Amino acid sequence: MSVDRPQGVLRRGWSAEVGDYAIAGGWTRRGEALVVGDAAGGVYAFDGTSGATIWTQREVHEGGVLAVAMHPNRPEFATAGQDGRVLVWSAADGRVREALDVGNGWVEHAAWSPDGTWLAASCSRQVHTYGPDGEKAWQSDDHPSTVSAIAWSSTGDLATACYGRVTFFDASTGEVRQQLEWMGSLVSLVLSPDGDIVVCGSQDNSVHFWRRSTEQDSMMSGYPAKPSALAFDDSGTLLATGGGEEVTVWSFQGSGPEGTRPGVMEHHVENVTALAFARRGMRLASGARDGDVAVWSLRRDGHGDPIGVAPVADVVGDLYWRPDGRALAALDAQGGVTVWRVSK
Amino acid sequence: MDTPRNIPVTILTGFLGSGKTTLLNRILREEHGKRIAVVENEFGEVGIDQALVINADEEIFEMSNGCICCTVRGDLIRVLGNLMKRRDKFDYVLVETTGLADPGPVAQTFFMDDEIRAEYALDGIVTLVDAAHIEQQLGRSDESTEQIAFADVLVLNKTDLVHDDALDGLEARLRDMNRMARVVRSKRAEVPVDTVLNLGAFDLDEVLGRRPTFLEPEYPFEWTGVYSLDVGRYELSLDDGPDPSMSLVVVPDQGTDDAALREGAEWCVRRYAEPADLVRPGDQIRVGEHLNLELDSPGRKPFFLEVDTPVRVGVFTQHTAEEFDLQLTKVDGATPTANGAPRTEEAVPVEVERTWVAQHEHDDEVGSIAIEVEGDVDPDRLNLWLGQLLSERGVDIFRMKGFISLAGESRRFVFQGVHMLFDGQPDRPWGDAPRRNQLVFIGRNLDEPSMRQGFEACLT
Repeated sequence: MSVDRPQGVLRRGWSAEVGDYAIAGGWTRRGEALVVGDAAGGVYAFDGTSGATIWTQREVHEGGVLAVAMHPNRPEFATAGQDGRVLVWSAADGRVREALDVGNGWVEHAAWSPDGTWLAASCSRQVHTYGPDGEKAWQSDDHPSTVSAIAWSSTGDLATACYGRVTFFDASTGEVRQQLEWMGSLVSLVLSPDGDIVVCGSQDNSVHFWRRSTEQDSMMSGYPAKPSALAFDDSGTLLATGGGEEVTVWSFQGSGPEGTRPGVMEHHVENVTALAFARRGMRLASGARDGDVAVWSLRRDGHGDPIGVAPVADVVGDLYWRPDGRALAALDAQGGVTVWRVSK
Repeated sequence: MDTPRNIPVTILTGFLGSGKTTLLNRILREEHGKRIAVVENEFGEVGIDQALVINADEEIFEMSNGCICCTVRGDLIRVLGNLMKRRDKFDYVLVETTGLADPGPVAQTFFMDDEIRAEYALDGIVTLVDAAHIEQQLGRSDESTEQIAFADVLVLNKTDLVHDDALDGLEARLRDMNRMARVVRSKRAEVPVDTVLNLGAFDLDEVLGRRPTFLEPEYPFEWTGVYSLDVGRYELSLDDGPDPSMSLVVVPDQGTDDAALREGAEWCVRRYAEPADLVRPGDQIRVGEHLNLELDSPGRKPFFLEVDTPVRVGVFTQHTAEEFDLQLTKVDGATPTANGAPRTEEAVPVEVERTWVAQHEHDDEVGSIAIEVEGDVDPDRLNLWLGQLLSERGVDIFRMKGFISLAGESRRFVFQGVHMLFDGQPDRPWGDAPRRNQLVFIGRNLDEPSMRQGFEACLT
């Protein structure tokens, strides 16, 4: 691949370090701060503009942080860890507002509902939800296997993925609304912004998706590796998938993606680990085991071109666009936090 | 997958009550300087503080293609995937399975998942066997058989509850099923830790070094004694032994060096292929014929051998001489008479003796096949043959290991596999060592002649 300007739209921003593998993080709503949780159980907040450390809390989750969820409209976030707990933090000062004991196992996933009312967290075979003041709302029955991913739908349902199925729960009652089945180990889950399309990566190197309205399903197979990174753009037109060294982008415009050829973005030389769409426009960021981060400008048919590339120190753990789309953060396996300014 | 930075993983299997947890605790106690992570099922009882113990339900995930060879342990992928992110890496990971676990999915996880494969290496599968109960378990459950078939090390535990004779029989049966494994006996799982950890289990050299007879052919006889005989009459006598009869062949003009013994053995194998003539106590033994000595009467039983010209004979017997206290004595020229006429008796010393790897009765469907051939292998033909073999018989092939001399490659090619999954890479240079191929397959109802033939067809 040739990039006319090696850095393209990515401009020097700031960088910082956390204590161990940077597992997960996120930007506060206006981009004032970037928070990061690490494998040693520490939680860090950096100034969004300068990268200066705002506060640090080391070893709060014994065994390590597993998930970070940013509140959609309050300056708060949640962290989940191997210690079986979820902590709800005030981003400004690093104060823990709520400490929730979820279960005896690892709490691997946490997510706020789109309106910020409910916080969901999964622990082994169950998913638990909590209300606005941290009070327990409901917990699910045991799933057939450990819950491997959770996601809130814009319509207010909570979706869980596990071996063999995706389940939708009513946000306030926990009642099961829909089950979509597929015999395979579902390792990742993403919902289209309108909530109709449900996409899972499967251990057998395929991507499976359903339309909730019709319950029709389709499968995209032939990936060289398991597609653990998935992302939908804000308009619900494009689905970006990892599952190998290439980024494969399916377009849902018209009658697609069935019967269409996906866009294939080639730059990475090892498996893609992270994908994120900027909130508006068709800009996709990809990160890989090779430590490179690329930014792509995509068209509605899923095809596109690279517009920026930059390396980080190690395997890219995850990528987060600042909500205004003018900065991109990458977390890496060495504990590096790299933020670029992104030009238009 | 065997790069040095990969974290070694040992899998402990065995039925409930076989001593897995005892062994696990013992390992943790003795390896206290190491950072060890233990993944165990929820019923485990590891009681050691310094290890990181992670409870994980065994989640067996089949793939949508329905292939059992692609089945993996989903919980391990998640747990190990998270553990590998820590900066202070673990020195070791121990995975304890539930008693009824099929070891296939656990082992396959280390082949099937790219991320796990990049960070971890399956060091070995250690199967605990409850010596007092395994015979019943083998009869009743496939899992038990598979746990034995998959093992790199078989710990024959609770030996204090079983007689030595029964243990020997049990060990022979286990070896028949899995000739690749090291067998270690113990009372309360107190085996040296280095027999179960850091096996480098896929170094076949070590397996071969441990058991030099491992790849030798099996013979229908266990023992050979070579005797130099003058003209005269000899008595071969046998005391009470384990069987009511025993077959033998007396080979004329037998040499004493190893090559001559092997030559005699090969000649003898052909005699053994012929039906045996029954010979009763007091009868004559005919040289060069397959005979079956009737031994069901109590006390010493004599058989006779007449020698016309001085000769060196090899006596090839179905069992060892020791088992029946076999003796050869020269008796004087006269036929002993019923009235007890005097005669001289003189024991004839064994000039050379050796034992052979005996063919066992293969009661179990599960067994091992070893192929050893000199020469170079054509990589394309090998791929084709192995591909076809694994696609047709992958379900029945539990494990395979070996090294191969690939044409045009200066290094040995070392491989291992689980069901139809296969992994290999070049290892050390051949140097001056003779280039040869050694392969071991453990599986169910394997067709040895056709597999051997198939492999030999890959030679250049």
